Amino acid sequence: MSHSPTRRSRVTPARLGLYALLLSSAAFFLLPLYVMLATSLKPMEEIRLGQLFTLPLHVTIEPWIQAWASACTGLECRGIQVGFWNSVKIVVPSTIASIFFGALNGYALSFWRVRWAGRLFGVLMFGAFVPYQVMMYPLVRALASVNLFGTLTGIVLIHTVFGMPVMTLLFRNYYAGVPSELFKAARIDGGGFWRIFFQLMLPMSLPIIAVAVIMQMTNIWNDFLLGLVFAGRENLPMTVQLNNVINTTTGERLYNVNMAATVLTSLLPLAVYLISGRWFVRGITAGAVKG
Amino acid sequence: MRVGAPPAARRRRAVAAQLALLPMAITVIGVYLGTVLWSVRISFSSSKIFPTDDFVGLSQYLRLFNTERWIVSLHNIAVFGTLFIAACLVLGFLLAVFLDQRVRGENVLRTIFLYPYAMSFVATGLIWQWMLNPALGIQSTVRSLGFPGFEFDWIVSQDKVIYTLVIAAVWQASGLVMAVLLAGLRGIDDALWNAARIDGVPRWRYYLSVVLPQLGPAFGTAFVLLAVGVVKVYDVVIAMTQGGPGNASEVPAKFIMDNLFNRANVGLASAASTVMLLTVLALLLPWWYGRAVQSRREAAHA
Amino acid sequence: MVPTTLKHLTLVAALIAVGNAHAQKATVIHWWTSGGESAAVKELADAYAKAGGTWVDEAVAGADNARAAAINRIAGGNPPTAAQFNTSKQYHDVISAGQLNDIDAVAAKEGWDKWLPKPIVDSIKVNGHYYAVPVNIHNPAWFWYSKSALQKAGVAGEPKTMDEFFAALDKLKAAGLVPLAFGGQSWQEWITFYSMLLDVGGKDAYLKFFKDHDAASVNAEPMRKTLTALKKLHGYVDAGSPGRNWNDATAMVISGKAGFQIMGDWAKGEFGAAKQTAGKEYGCFAGFGPTAPYMVAGDVFVFPKTSDKTAIEAQHKLATVFTSPTTQVAFNNKKGSIPVRTDVDTSKMDICAQAGLQAMKDPARQIANPDMLMTPDMVGAVQDVITKFWNGNQSVDDAVKALQGAVKG
Repeated sequence: MSHSPTRRSRVTPARLGLYALLLSSAAFFLLPLYVMLATSLKPMEEIRLGQLFTLPLHVTIEPWIQAWASACTGLECRGIQVGFWNSVKIVVPSTIASIFFGALNGYALSFWRVRWAGRLFGVLMFGAFVPYQVMMYPLVRALASVNLFGTLTGIVLIHTVFGMPVMTLLFRNYYAGVPSELFKAARIDGGGFWRIFFQLMLPMSLPIIAVAVIMQMTNIWNDFLLGLVFAGRENLPMTVQLNNVINTTTGERLYNVNMAATVLTSLLPLAVYLISGRWFVRGITAGAVKG
Repeated sequence: MRVGAPPAARRRRAVAAQLALLPMAITVIGVYLGTVLWSVRISFSSSKIFPTDDFVGLSQYLRLFNTERWIVSLHNIAVFGTLFIAACLVLGFLLAVFLDQRVRGENVLRTIFLYPYAMSFVATGLIWQWMLNPALGIQSTVRSLGFPGFEFDWIVSQDKVIYTLVIAAVWQASGLVMAVLLAGLRGIDDALWNAARIDGVPRWRYYLSVVLPQLGPAFGTAFVLLAVGVVKVYDVVIAMTQGGPGNASEVPAKFIMDNLFNRANVGLASAASTVMLLTVLALLLPWWYGRAVQSRREAAHA
Repeated sequence: MVPTTLKHLTLVAALIAVGNAHAQKATVIHWWTSGGESAAVKELADAYAKAGGTWVDEAVAGADNARAAAINRIAGGNPPTAAQFNTSKQYHDVISAGQLNDIDAVAAKEGWDKWLPKPIVDSIKVNGHYYAVPVNIHNPAWFWYSKSALQKAGVAGEPKTMDEFFAALDKLKAAGLVPLAFGGQSWQEWITFYSMLLDVGGKDAYLKFFKDHDAASVNAEPMRKTLTALKKLHGYVDAGSPGRNWNDATAMVISGKAGFQIMGDWAKGEFGAAKQTAGKEYGCFAGFGPTAPYMVAGDVFVFPKTSDKTAIEAQHKLATVFTSPTTQVAFNNKKGSIPVRTDVDTSKMDICAQAGLQAMKDPARQIANPDMLMTPDMVGAVQDVITKFWNGNQSVDDAVKALQGAVKG
């Protein structure tokens, strides 16, 4: 197995420059977050004064409590927590299903010779570009005809279908970088289609699975229109309440509550990003070849 | 060591692959092809709020290309797409390379670069609108700090508003490009760097000559992700400028959405969407051709 | 057979009991989600509950989102009992597609023909049948002003004519304040345009353009005067106006940084949230002069097609409850709009609402808003022309040509 000597990070100009670049990039990325958090902690009177970058004069966490538990989302005024478990119910199966099929497709496309598969993959890639609003009406009719319109199964199916192009691409390109000797060796050892998939390829795909989880979790968790139309009243995701809090045609806008609600909604994906670190591990494929 | 599997087993395994790919086949044909063909059919009708069956020939397309807003949106998407994809690839690659250097706090830094992707653009877009607004945001703040001539009012200018969209969109998407490229980087054997170091190759040269070529597939993934984002760009426009000032920052997806729901013009929206897909098709064809040639070459070698 | 009839009767009785246990469940899609709007919807829901129904709320913020949800639900065979639209032509296509139930029974019983304002009747009565129940009247073209800002600029009082209005704007500009608080979004520019057409061009020019779609009137004096005035008005907004939300513009009036805003009566919600009172810190007027036209816009509920008896009962009950005098007052006081009927108790209304209701009593002053007179498609086409004219350097001649193209349809 390859072994890299642990490099003690010496303080070189290059190292300092590296940290400087990273920190200034971080500052660019963090600026809007600062404005969001500052706005979310100010009372509306301060926000109306329009001083964006100042720290709050009177810090208040009232908007956060309101966003979670008491903001009006229609007749109900129970904040965005109402849809939390619905979102979880939708995200977990949809993420697992779409990643599974993406990995399966990518694996089959990369290592197995199926005559029509290449062309179909090309059309799938084309499908990724279709704006889903245009696809909505026929899908509504199709799901209605099999009684899945407005059900949890229906929305999971929709998310799986819409995630398939990108997930397949992700895994197919990742497996393209895997040395084919690995696969051939496994075949010679008597591995079949499914055994190689589950025992060799999947365990080796941790970095790309991390990316896939990040992408699908975020996209599905933040999805609004598909959940609104296809999930049915009992399964409305949190984004519907979030939209009801933030968006309003002619009602008053409480910007502090809006910012707080947005940050709260994004906490789950953020937690996933932090945890996914352990999967961005180096040298898995390399190690497998050597060992 | 067995020399090779018996022919029957080999055929069985190929069947397994075909069965495994069946869901993909059904999705492609049933869902994507089916809805695209339906949408093309509707573009030849006079559908208003519900799809109708009549046939009006090319009149929706004629109307489409006589609509100034649509022409502006096509121009905008070209400018936006080029700048956005280029900036994201460069920034994402640099961030991935920096993070690959065994820095302290990698987890935190990675989350900092990724968090914009997690947040709904409805709120973050508004923040960008505020920050870039000359009366409220960066211009007025810098001026109040003692630089009275400082100008940064792109967002209210018809010519420059598209660049503000690029800035906000790059802020949101570079993190994901970084993640995709980082996953690719982490798949590259460290021994290659040891070998290069022994040969006296400087680190930056190593990245340029050794790593970059190996990241081909990862870049391909990132490029497609970004391209899909470009074609579908909608949220950032709605949140930041609503297509304004005037129609200066109109984009095709917003044009389609507006006509689909707001203006009850399903026929026109379908025509617009068909034109977009034809454009994508035109750009994809060279890639398909290239892959077909490549696979024929591989088959010849096998 | 007696046993079978008995079985049938028992079954029917059981069904009736179950039906009543559901107490006319009504799923209602609407877009009222802010704090103030929620309180207003509660009045409707409470009134419906008091009449024996069960309200199942399906709020979706953003009018476009709510309408999209309603349309898709109808397409998917799972329609709501009632869905909100604006008093407009937005739902006329849904009617032509045969997807709405009519409520002629309720209209006849309540005598809508007799007391509903004509612009509203024209919008909800299609081919002789009533398809929507109106719940309020919003006027999108009120003028709001900050008393402190006007005082600071030396403006004597409320402008009584358009010339006085421009003079006041000049004084505000000289005093270093923002004369007109403005949000540069397409729909706000649109409101400003048709408000100007009404106040500068006059009622006839307005109707010729919006109702008759008369292209020749576009090149006539009133419209040209309007476009010139619109161009002049642009000089009174600040550089940061493009893209601004209407609430942020109202905030400028609230804080006294700006003098005027042209916005709908829903702006009262923002003033109220900032604890300001009409007549004290801010003033309002809906036009110039005692016969100034009062624009009628508003919200209605439509009833998607269903043959389910309980659902139809629910629909009729909703329609009846929504237009009763007590519900109208309770709902509109919280909503900031005015009731659709003038025979109501006005004691609890603020002075702006009272002025509005007074104006509505004169049928000659009632004027339908453009959404009631043009299809959404044509409204959109005109909006595109106006937003380009407002934001660019287009000449009045070119704008006239573009507008003529838009109304030809």
